[in-house]
Amino acid sequence: MPQHQISMVLDLNKCLGCQTCTMACKKLWTDGDGMDYMYWNNVETRPGQGYPRNWDKIGGGFEDGKLRPSELPSKEDYGQTFEYNYAERLFQGGMQAMPQEEVRNTPNWDEDVGALMLGENYYFYLPRLCNHCTNPACLEACPRKAIYKRAEDGIVLVDQERCEGYRYCMKACPYKKIYFNELLGKAQKCIFCYPRIEKGEVNACAKQCPGRLRFVGFLDDPDSAVHKLVHVYKVALGLFPEKGTEPNVFYVPPFNPPRTGSYGKSVLEDPRMPMDYLKYLFGDEVVDVIRRLEGELQRAQSGGASEVLQLLIGRDEHVRYQIPKHEQLIQIGGGHKA
Amino acid sequence: MKPFACVLFCAAVALAQNPLDPAAADWKSAAPMTLSLQRTPPLYPTDSAAAIEVSSVQAQFLHTNAGNFVRLQWSDKTHDTTVLPKAERAWQGDHLVTQSAATDRFSDACAFMVPAKPVIGDLNPSLQMGDAGHPVRIFVWDSTRGAAVMEASGRETTKRTGQLFPAQGQYAGGKWSVTLQIPDLNAGTPFAVAIWNGSQQDRDGRKYFTIWYRAQ
Repeated sequence: MPQHQISMVLDLNKCLGCQTCTMACKKLWTDGDGMDYMYWNNVETRPGQGYPRNWDKIGGGFEDGKLRPSELPSKEDYGQTFEYNYAERLFQGGMQAMPQEEVRNTPNWDEDVGALMLGENYYFYLPRLCNHCTNPACLEACPRKAIYKRAEDGIVLVDQERCEGYRYCMKACPYKKIYFNELLGKAQKCIFCYPRIEKGEVNACAKQCPGRLRFVGFLDDPDSAVHKLVHVYKVALGLFPEKGTEPNVFYVPPFNPPRTGSYGKSVLEDPRMPMDYLKYLFGDEVVDVIRRLEGELQRAQSGGASEVLQLLIGRDEHVRYQIPKHEQLIQIGGGHKA
Repeated sequence: MKPFACVLFCAAVALAQNPLDPAAADWKSAAPMTLSLQRTPPLYPTDSAAAIEVSSVQAQFLHTNAGNFVRLQWSDKTHDTTVLPKAERAWQGDHLVTQSAATDRFSDACAFMVPAKPVIGDLNPSLQMGDAGHPVRIFVWDSTRGAAVMEASGRETTKRTGQLFPAQGQYAGGKWSVTLQIPDLNAGTPFAVAIWNGSQQDRDGRKYFTIWYRAQ
């Protein structure tokens, strides 16, 4: 158990699906050799195939305290990577900039497809990164003991010296957020921008987010937005809690107005998307969260004050991020458990 | 160097390097040892049991002025290897996309393990990569990544030394032939062999292995 646990809360009601976070991460961390297909941060349309394809259905995590079997995603499951014909376009001219091969499947290939409910289309965006779990299945699975969870902030890292590329971690991760660098023969994953975090700087994905939907701080810091959203207001949930890894990335579930907009009907009575799908992603507790959020909304609509809705607006970085420099970490906590 | 001397020198070098060629004629005269292979049981709860697809490996030895060589040969229906794409650079060193992501494939490989310290009598190190008092050196050849020397003092202690060693592999007619140049390998040196079958997702302790033998 780490002394402190850094965490991120993402308000899915504010995600634009613009992939700015994906690009911020890509440019900063996965622009190297052998990393082409990796998106440590990705945004996928839900319902949808996800990235890698069907990651939520191929296994991993824990069952009765033991690792659950899983398949390894294939190259095809991650989608194609390709280059454009820039050289021809720039130096020969007269032609369009085109992919160098026929493109049939990429990450987020089914963007905005979604699904139908009562004849109407619904979808939302799900940004995903490593969950830096409290009980990481990847760490449990690694026979090399190459994966470790940092005591000072709970960030889960792969020791690139010890890793031999066995890929048990990839199988074990129920979120399929560990990738294999074929050129180096190493497993690689989101590092939660630890060099930035150590200096008190927020993650690149959060910093660049135009939707201002990400909140970052220490779960055990009672003054942090993440602590309030997860532990005090209880409006943010981890993805697939039944997988048993105790993720430390949390989501405020999509909370749409009633489908028909009928006055007096609650979101739960007249949902815009099937509640069963949200339960599939976030567990049964999502119903309570939506009820809670609806209560807050009604209070605000009747002229009352809602601290949680004010917080979720996330007006500026001081509201969204509370990241002390690592030398100050000792001062936070006060008995709170992550 | 005069041309004539160069011819002699180069021919000598060519002859000296010959044993590293798995198809070199020298190997025809080396007596073969047929070693039975065992399969490790499933090591982890998520491991499924694997069929025995490789039942034996043949070892031959050559001791020449150029060094000590072993050739390992085993049957394998599938040729599991990857040609790693070259990392390409565009203008000003920009990274170019490489179509590589063999995320779910594993390579055929073999290893030749010897005691790192002289063995007293018949007391060989543990087959599980030695033990604290009896370290081992492991010469690993991987069909994708080539050769590397590892050392270990028991399970979960293997680590790369950073050293490489000369090795060559050939796959033909459903059979691997791999030659390894092993330093300080003499007739009588204890050794054990491991084979990894990529199509069975072998890696780590998921492999075939022999008991200890003595080199010829």
